[in-house]
Amino acid sequence: MSESNKLTDLSYLRSLTGNANDKMAKYIRMFTSGASLSLQQIEMYSLNKDWDSVKQSAHALKPQLGYFGAKGTEELLREIERMSGDKVDLDRIPEALKNLKVQLDIIVAELELSLKEFE
Amino acid sequence: MVNKNLIYIVDDVQMQRELLADHIKANMSVFEIHCFTTGEECIAASKVRPAEIVFLDYNLNSQIKDAMDGVEVLQELKIISPETEVVMISGQDKIEVAVNSIKHGAFDYIVKGEGAFVRAEKVVFNIYRFHKLTATANKYKSLMVLFGIGMILMIVLVIYLQKYGYIRSSPGWY
Repeated sequence: MSESNKLTDLSYLRSLTGNANDKMAKYIRMFTSGASLSLQQIEMYSLNKDWDSVKQSAHALKPQLGYFGAKGTEELLREIERMSGDKVDLDRIPEALKNLKVQLDIIVAELELSLKEFE
Repeated sequence: MVNKNLIYIVDDVQMQRELLADHIKANMSVFEIHCFTTGEECIAASKVRPAEIVFLDYNLNSQIKDAMDGVEVLQELKIISPETEVVMISGQDKIEVAVNSIKHGAFDYIVKGEGAFVRAEKVVFNIYRFHKLTATANKYKSLMVLFGIGMILMIVLVIYLQKYGYIRSSPGWY
């Protein structure tokens, strides 16, 4: 995958960590190990129509994606947060969650690939 | 009395806590930093050893549903240690959230995102400067009180000496 097609951009995290490989690896591992659990939580809350919890979990996950430069996915989470928080367009949430799952899978794969150069 | 140079960070998202702690440690090594997942843990620690600064997440119930939220923790912390400066952090850039935080005694409000860590560093510096200015103002206030007491004592002494004839109201050279 070429750099321009990637969903992630580690330049912000690089500047934040002062390009320290150990810290980069630490944060990538932290995110990749927790991302699928966060997604499962959001999906479960959505199935139970617990919209406030969907909002809370989307809200917690959102800024982390920003640190990895995944702006598009961050925007998608912002939209999920808005729909579940304001209880509008609730029928669009399952589709948005499908998109989120696809994007998170790609992000985790990209980050795991990047991890090799920091270890 | 707060513990100088002690910072508590409260956030239910591990990455958020660690990023902020690492950033402050890297740029301001003088601070001792402790992280907490819930507000309840921070309150318990503050009862024993109150911090100078607390960075507190506004939404603390993404993992534990019945956990205290940021504003509740802020109110409790201000009762335990009014001198502790609390800085609210949230992913929401809504003005109502910021106003609500300040209304309940927060020193400042930071929106999570790319600029958040640099802003946190500036807030720490502002708090340090604010505490220094407050200490200087209190010192001058004490000096003014001492000066006033000194003046009163001097006037009383002059009246006493004049009354018993030790000094005269006219110096006597004309």
